Amino acid sequence: MHKRIFSLLSAIALTGSAAAEVAYEFVPDFIQPPPGKATIGNGHGEIAVDSAGKIYVSVQERDAGIQVYGADGKFIKALLLPPSLHGFVIRKDNGGEFIFAAVLGEAKVIKCDLEGKVLMTIPTSEFPADKMGKGLKLTNCDVAPNGDIYVVDGYGQSYIFVFSREGKFKSVFGGPDEPLKLANAHKIFIDKRFEPARVMICDRGHKRMLHTQLDGTFIGEIATGMRNPSSASFHGDLMCVAEIAGNVSVWDKNNKRVADLGTSPKPTNTPKIEPKDWQQGIVTSPHGITFDNDGNILETEWNQWGRVLRWNLKK
Amino acid sequence: MESVGPCFEVEPQEVTDAEFSNDELPMRHRLRAFVIRVVSFIILSFPLSAFGHGAEFLSAKLTLLPEAEVLLEVTADYGGNPLIADEAAAKQALLDPIRLRSGDTLVPLSKVAAARVSKHDNWAEFAPAAYLPPDTESQAHALITSSWRWRSAVQEIVFEMPKGKLHDVLLWTRDDTQPESSPKWMLLLAGDQSKAIPVHWTPWWRRRQTVMALIGLMLAIAYFVSRNFTLRQRTL
Repeated sequence: MHKRIFSLLSAIALTGSAAAEVAYEFVPDFIQPPPGKATIGNGHGEIAVDSAGKIYVSVQERDAGIQVYGADGKFIKALLLPPSLHGFVIRKDNGGEFIFAAVLGEAKVIKCDLEGKVLMTIPTSEFPADKMGKGLKLTNCDVAPNGDIYVVDGYGQSYIFVFSREGKFKSVFGGPDEPLKLANAHKIFIDKRFEPARVMICDRGHKRMLHTQLDGTFIGEIATGMRNPSSASFHGDLMCVAEIAGNVSVWDKNNKRVADLGTSPKPTNTPKIEPKDWQQGIVTSPHGITFDNDGNILETEWNQWGRVLRWNLKK
Repeated sequence: MESVGPCFEVEPQEVTDAEFSNDELPMRHRLRAFVIRVVSFIILSFPLSAFGHGAEFLSAKLTLLPEAEVLLEVTADYGGNPLIADEAAAKQALLDPIRLRSGDTLVPLSKVAAARVSKHDNWAEFAPAAYLPPDTESQAHALITSSWRWRSAVQEIVFEMPKGKLHDVLLWTRDDTQPESSPKWMLLLAGDQSKAIPVHWTPWWRRRQTVMALIGLMLAIAYFVSRNFTLRQRTL
């Protein structure tokens, strides 16, 4: 364990010089919870930013699955959505801007507008029955440039399902067997830093990230030996990653680690770290992450009280 | 805004109160309505935390016993761990979950003791409160625990996770000789090493076996002395 801490500290030291062009500073107490609440509420989800700069955080609250905050961190409203939006993205598609979300507790995918109105559902019945195992446990989805929707069964068998823009099943790849041999593929993202776009898979069980082509053909590993990568986001050539065992990392397009943020001195993976034990700038169990439109990083944690941390890009 | 595609039916289907209140409904419809109500009640009262994932690690409870004895109980959850699909996978994970560092080598637990395997559903006994899965109270867990018990030949033990290990291990240390002391835990990922854990080392001359052997030896000597003394008395 000491070796791991040492290597992380070394990486931090190295990145200070090697990537002087990318540095971040922690912003304490950025999020201001809804009125009457000390914290935002039970977090086991994702965070995303829309084109207007508003921040969306999913929490496990009935009929208020997503909270919306202004760019200044002030609470605006809650959206009337299911409580188990484990993974979601905000994407522009076909002229509009929408939330695409995996509803873990209901084994379905929803597409809704930014007011929380559900416009389309991909129900359980649309998934191929022979790939469901003991039941779907959908953890995330993303949208390819052609409108195809990619969905991962991250707490199930780690299959990645591809649906058309209209929600019709097209294909499936990944899963526990060769060639990808995924284990707890927690979240997937369409990596549009590349042309053509790629699928970026957080293969959390194997502590690695990997790229495939959009048809599922293996391209290569991005990194191994991570602290259990759980989520990612892209901005320019950079990718930030939430590692649930206690780290936030930033990577360039050449798969080089250029920054580590909030590294926990010892690995963690629990939602039960109470607010009294939180330390400013130190993560507990990062679960969701996003860049905002200016390249600042927002991270949400697996935490029963709910926690969001922010690092601003130093310019 | 442009068309965004069809809106599929949201699951599960909603059932209105009007459907339930109709006294003219045939019996099977009333029964169906009753079942739907019960199911709806169960779904609605299901704790939100149940949507959470379970423990994505093996819990290794280490108990330090007197006289350098060590008990390590490693538990796998094949009901709530997405990395463990079934009982067979749980047993496989428990075959060689963590190793002991001995000089330059990593010693499998099977080399120090034979494993005792038991099945149960009691998470609280085998993981610290801070790491119990969020749904511990609301969901049945399928747990398998493998236990190794041995007497340490060294005064400090060090556990290590071989590189490439799929399953993280939460090492939870309890000192049985100091029950009031708070347990300590550390999460070990592949390649991680625990800090040195001192066992309750007892010098060889104070160990129970040594004391018993010495008492036995003294009794034997006393017996032979008294026997020889008696024989000599008789020959005289």
